[in-house]
Amino acid sequence: MKTSEYQKRMNKVKLSGFVEYKNLTFSMGATIMVGFIFLIFGYDFIAKTVSLGMIAVGGLYLLTALYMYLVLRRARREILTTGDIGETTRRMGWPMTFFIFLTNFFGTIGGLSLVGRKKCIEFQLCIFMLVNTMMVMLVSALNIFKPQIPRNFWLGMGLLALVEVFYIVVTVMVVKYTDEKNIDPRLKVLLIPLVITTLTGNFFALILAVTMFKRLYQKNKEISIEWIEIMRRLFRNYMAVIGLLVVIFLLSISICSYLTFDYAVSVENNYEALFQSPSLAYPFGTDNFGRCVFSRIVFGARISLVVGMTAIAIPLVLGGLLGALAGYYAKVVDNVIMRVLDVFYAIPSILLAIAIIAAFGASTATLVMAISVYNIPVFARLVRATVLSVSHSEYIEAARACGATNPIIIFKHIIPNSLAPVIVRATLEIGIAVLSTSSLSYLGIGIPSHIPEWGNILRAGSSYLEGYPYMAIFPGLAIILIVLAFNFFGDGLRDALDPKMK
Amino acid sequence: MTSTKAAALNKPAVRIVSTYERMKRNGIYRVLSLIFGCITLVIVKLVQRAGSASNPAQARREELHKAFVEKGELAALKAEAEAHLRRKNQFFNKHMSDEELRREAEKTALLALEDKVNAQLELEGVDTRKTSGFQDTFIALLSKAPFFVFSLIVSFPMYILVLIYMMPYLKYTVDRLAMLVFVVLGVIILVFSILFISPSDPALNILGEKATPEQVANFREVYGLDKPYLSQAFDTVKRIATFDLGRSYVGNENIGEAIARKFPVTMQLAIVSMALALFVGLLVGIISAIRQYSAFDYTSMFVVLVALSIPNFWLGLVMVLNFSIKTGWLPSIYQVGNWQSMIMPAIVLGTGMAAGIARMTRSSMLEVRSSDYVMTAKAKGLSERSVTFRHILSNALIPIITMAGMQFGGIMGGSPTTEKVFSISGIGIYIVDKEFLPDVPAVVASVVYVSLTISLANLLVDILYTFVDPRIKTRLKNY
Repeated sequence: MKTSEYQKRMNKVKLSGFVEYKNLTFSMGATIMVGFIFLIFGYDFIAKTVSLGMIAVGGLYLLTALYMYLVLRRARREILTTGDIGETTRRMGWPMTFFIFLTNFFGTIGGLSLVGRKKCIEFQLCIFMLVNTMMVMLVSALNIFKPQIPRNFWLGMGLLALVEVFYIVVTVMVVKYTDEKNIDPRLKVLLIPLVITTLTGNFFALILAVTMFKRLYQKNKEISIEWIEIMRRLFRNYMAVIGLLVVIFLLSISICSYLTFDYAVSVENNYEALFQSPSLAYPFGTDNFGRCVFSRIVFGARISLVVGMTAIAIPLVLGGLLGALAGYYAKVVDNVIMRVLDVFYAIPSILLAIAIIAAFGASTATLVMAISVYNIPVFARLVRATVLSVSHSEYIEAARACGATNPIIIFKHIIPNSLAPVIVRATLEIGIAVLSTSSLSYLGIGIPSHIPEWGNILRAGSSYLEGYPYMAIFPGLAIILIVLAFNFFGDGLRDALDPKMK
Repeated sequence: MTSTKAAALNKPAVRIVSTYERMKRNGIYRVLSLIFGCITLVIVKLVQRAGSASNPAQARREELHKAFVEKGELAALKAEAEAHLRRKNQFFNKHMSDEELRREAEKTALLALEDKVNAQLELEGVDTRKTSGFQDTFIALLSKAPFFVFSLIVSFPMYILVLIYMMPYLKYTVDRLAMLVFVVLGVIILVFSILFISPSDPALNILGEKATPEQVANFREVYGLDKPYLSQAFDTVKRIATFDLGRSYVGNENIGEAIARKFPVTMQLAIVSMALALFVGLLVGIISAIRQYSAFDYTSMFVVLVALSIPNFWLGLVMVLNFSIKTGWLPSIYQVGNWQSMIMPAIVLGTGMAAGIARMTRSSMLEVRSSDYVMTAKAKGLSERSVTFRHILSNALIPIITMAGMQFGGIMGGSPTTEKVFSISGIGIYIVDKEFLPDVPAVVASVVYVSLTISLANLLVDILYTFVDPRIKTRLKNY
């Protein structure tokens, strides 16, 4: 039987109504990709040797992908014939939810959305919230194999387990008491505990709380809530959400590592464990001082995130202010501000940072200052251009014609409408700031070298490239991961905030 | 004989004066022309004054004006305007002081009176057109050869300005160059100031902790470090303006020569990596734009994003690990003259650029593809290939060229991390080495050199456009 073009399109429309189906497709795609990456890197083409561990992991991934493919095919057939996913197929999602223990968290996301049978944004958030905390627990659990378990390890794991149980309860309640249209007012009790659990760094809980709050306290059911619309558009983009998941995961692990990781392992010399190859006790091996590279990378996430975010927050405020002034007052003020900033813009970012560090010495504070300074003109230009284009648009004229005063126009119209491009740019710039931080550290003029920062770890590793390449490879992968996550999330955010996408 | 000469000079005179009038509307050009051309302008003004007294139309106008004022028309008009203003303010609930009200009314009244005078003049058949007497006098004077030559000698800078203003391309270039000079000046002062307020002292860093106070004082005197801020800043600007980049504190080497030694290496590397990036980037970008939403599009855009997220020193290290240490195919250290040693640095530098170019090509082509003229081209039956390459790609090239120009300038300024990985003695690593002391003259000179290179690259690209893009050409015509 040959399906016609029309039939194909109808099938597509039918399938696109099922978030579960879409999630499952993407999960399978991601799983296959990761599986192949492991397989390819499992075979050393130059030395012609096979690394059994990598091949095994890759094979495992492909096996899970096969299972997902079978479920997917079933679901597809059922959607096309009966218009809904059958009970048995949904139950087949259960094994998938446990794929996270095989390190495949994509499978868990697909499985949970299949089992939950809800399409509302709250349930989507619940899935990612659950997966995030689970991932933090699994990564922390690697510390069991250490010769010495961190002092507060069990306390931290216990707390995390409690939080995870609470999240499961929340998810069950969300599945039971909400759907696309209605939300049970009894869910109000969950709001405050959810906000409190955000302290573990799981910002999905915060987003969920805000979303539920907006829906619970909505006065007019007919008006759509902008926040929820944006979230919906964001969650339509799978890669963007995965980017967000990675960012939040790194945030969570850098907070939770205060309890579940041992800082001493990553900074104190241990001459009994020099240059150990990757093993269960030291997943990424140990370096020339016997320090655990894995722990160092985990602690490095904290520094990278803090430096990246502060070094963007400062210019966001300062540059934004300057740009807004220039855009609002035009003429003389505009000219003076923009010409001065042109001077800053003319110097390549890394050289300006080097000059500033040269003047004030290498320290974390100087580094933040250096990265901030060269980002000021970036944001000033962006804000100026946005303010100019927004303040000349028709709706501002209309507001003025209706008799709106200047403060109302500025705070109700100009600022909200100029915010979107600035937020998107800031997200993308955080990734670049992380890259600059590690570049400067690699040159030896960034973060002081005893602090575990990714650039520093890489710098130490580059001296032992010949014998112990893992010391340089893993921190680099961590940098790529975080920058990529911010890039994907920023791109998704741009689409979600674009009013044309409505 | 004299009359033909005057006629010959009349045309350029008209052109010069009209350009001068246009120039007066532009702030900086106006000030400069007033300064440079003061002698000529004063003479013209004097001649005009002397001439205007004997103008019959002007005399009649003044006479009429006087008559109207004496008849009390002005007072009547003023009273009317005042009453009108009061009513208007009352209606709009606007408060205005008496003083302000009177001034406003007077202004309105004077304008009304002038209208009346003009009407009367027209009745009498007198030409009421407002001509700038100055302009006419200027043209008349310039048409005379002796004055022309005289003023050319006395205020030739003004005529150079006029000449620049006559040619839009030249004016655009000169404007940009002038701006560049100011930016470079700003860069010198900025970098110098940052290093000046630095708490670390180069004298102590170079001479060591054990240096005697006399030695330190001597060092400071030799390099002028004991002078106040302004005098040091002025010295630095003066030195760089005269292309004397000075000598570094350590080793006393000539900084200009040191930079010149690094230039060919950087240039070679920049050209090779740029060519590589342009080839790969354009190819990938074009294919993904043509086949939007295809598997190739998705994969290549994913790879592009990964390439943008890879720190280039890590890529360099991984390449060294695989191709030098494990296989020994390529040398891990850059040597001048060995083309094999250039492959890896060029790829490392080119990866990020290629990714940027591919992304830009795709988005720019997709944007052009949805424009009306592409639809027209398709509608008139052009082949897909000719539409894609002649209409879409050629129009999408502008932002791509801008980006490539900026990237090229960027590599010319050196990339310290890549230079460190491959032990290239480039400008980037030179600055990093010098910054610890800080070796102020070396750092200032190299940063200025780098910013100048980048700005010049951008300027060159912008000027190239004006010749390539017809849209910019027409915009420049009205510049």
